[in-house]
Amino acid sequence: MPKDTTTIPLGPQHPALVEPEYIKLEVDGESVISAEIHLGYLHRGIEELMQRRNYIQNIFVAERICGICSACHTLTYASAVESLLDIEVTDRAKYIRTIMAELERLHSHLLWVGVAGYEIGIDTVFQYAWKDREYIMAILEEISGNRVNYAMNTIGGVRRDITDTHAEKLKNIMKIIEKRSEYYKKVFAKDAVILKRTKNMGILTAHDAKKYSAAGPLARASNIRFDIRNEKYAAYGLIDWTEITAAGCDVAARAEVRIIELEESAKIITQCLDQMEHDPLVMRAPPIVPVGETTFRVEAPRGEIFYYARSNGTDTPERVKMRPPTYANLLALKSMLKGAKLADVPIIVASIDPCFSCTDRVTVLDTKTKKEKILTENDLRKLSK
Amino acid sequence: MNIAEIFIYPGIAFLILTGILLSGILRKITARMQSRIGPPIIQPLYDILKLLSKENIRPKQAKQGFTLWPALSLVSLIITGLMVPIAGITALGAGDIIVIVYFLAFGSFAAYLSGFVSGNPFGAIGASRGIMQMISYEFPFIMALLFPVVFLNTLSIAELNSIQIATGTWNIYLFPIAGIIFLLAMLAALEIPPFHIPSAHQEIVGGYSTEYTGTRLAYLELAHMVKLVVVLSIAIAVFLGGANTIYVFGAKLLILIFSITLVRVLMARLRIDTGLRFYWALGYILIADYVLRLLL
Repeated sequence: MPKDTTTIPLGPQHPALVEPEYIKLEVDGESVISAEIHLGYLHRGIEELMQRRNYIQNIFVAERICGICSACHTLTYASAVESLLDIEVTDRAKYIRTIMAELERLHSHLLWVGVAGYEIGIDTVFQYAWKDREYIMAILEEISGNRVNYAMNTIGGVRRDITDTHAEKLKNIMKIIEKRSEYYKKVFAKDAVILKRTKNMGILTAHDAKKYSAAGPLARASNIRFDIRNEKYAAYGLIDWTEITAAGCDVAARAEVRIIELEESAKIITQCLDQMEHDPLVMRAPPIVPVGETTFRVEAPRGEIFYYARSNGTDTPERVKMRPPTYANLLALKSMLKGAKLADVPIIVASIDPCFSCTDRVTVLDTKTKKEKILTENDLRKLSK
Repeated sequence: MNIAEIFIYPGIAFLILTGILLSGILRKITARMQSRIGPPIIQPLYDILKLLSKENIRPKQAKQGFTLWPALSLVSLIITGLMVPIAGITALGAGDIIVIVYFLAFGSFAAYLSGFVSGNPFGAIGASRGIMQMISYEFPFIMALLFPVVFLNTLSIAELNSIQIATGTWNIYLFPIAGIIFLLAMLAALEIPPFHIPSAHQEIVGGYSTEYTGTRLAYLELAHMVKLVVVLSIAIAVFLGGANTIYVFGAKLLILIFSITLVRVLMARLRIDTGLRFYWALGYILIADYVLRLLL
């Protein structure tokens, strides 16, 4: 390595990262020469834990994988188990699941808008977006009793109803959100200083996005139509919605996609509320799951969540494997950081909307030798054969 | 010049207390504009008192001058404050604009040097950004100050203050371009967004003060607060009509703080290269203005 570069550690503890993760930057002055991403600071042994709990208990484990996408994780897990059991949930349960998933997308994207503002040094956007997010958090608390882990999805349906009072309030909030998202769209499209920090920043071409298999808003901002909601899980087949893409391939395009998705989510929720009819909320699900294996995919706010589950005919899964969206998007980050200026690193990292607590499950800790080893791509290939 | 003027009003005690109060007001207005409640106005005082009671940690990799530079920064900025007319009184007698500019620059420079000697990569990058920013904004800052000096034929800042009060014409009317450019350069001198590049904590944690704790950090913070008062007082004395009484002075300070907060709330941070280019462009505009005035 030439000696004229400096190593700047971004993390494990850093104000630009909410969660501990280590990105090693080689910089020459203010330009980034290369970036190395080190994972493993948040490994919690979730997959192992899931093999020791029964199917019902595992809902609560899945819920706690991520603080933001908690409804999406349980939705994916419950749907995967339902497909093993061959249960079809009622329409009302489907609508409620969709509403919860979209509310989650709303608060996650509003959170992102705020964080993006914070990373480029304009705290006012942060304060405004998080104030608007509070409407969503309050109604989530009213519906489920919780602001973070809603515990709504269960195997065979949902655990709580959305009443008419909730529906009335939700519709009003959706009107507010639509108005606010118009405002944010204007801010991110017109403000000269914000455009200077987002336009042509962290370019990920459509070709590269495919090469690194990026997911979610990151891929859609590179003009790739990739939205798992097209697979019509939950109620997405019963309602009218459009997939949002943008052609900018940069941070500004990612902001655009997320902000327009706010509006789209609001429309989806209003439609669901209008179309819901009275059905039972939950189907009876047997505790013993027949032998079999399945996969299920859900579009979380950050992209594709993938679950694989294998059952051996007992009440405990033999294997549950999950791949959250950040794991897919991190690879793309490396190419986006190359050649960037140090000042743009935080906003580029934030533009994939990283959620590291979902991601960390590739570090192997050998307790006998006390040696830590990070699995390479080849190791993973060998393991998956 | 007497002892009370140097130590109490409008000297050291007044400068420090006004600095604390002004940054408190700045934080409070920012909070209200961002629809937050915000800290109490004397929160910076609590912060400083807390810092003074904390343990002083000296990192192993710190070089010589780890205590010296923060202290020098504060001292130098206080000396600048003593030479600037505050509510019509100049504690150290007549201040010379060139001396003021040098002491002010040294105050910022010492703060950035304390980043270099702290032996922390974030401190070093913050310091180099700060010095790069200084190189670019000092030129329009000083050039703009020289307009009244050259065309009103005096180097004394107290005299500039009293000339404006006597004639009733603010210098910003006589030299509009220089006045506006001075106010813009002032933002960089005070590290107000969009020019808070040296202390961008999302990128470089604490910037030049990353490694500092306790009393030394209190020096750096106080230096920053005193700088706020000093730079705004220079703006009032040289361009904004001067002030003879504490009421006029206070009112002008508050209006300036309010405008600064407005900019601070509305702006994102510029990248260092964009920021530097901006200030060099201002320098060229000033040169053009100067040449035109001499020719006409």
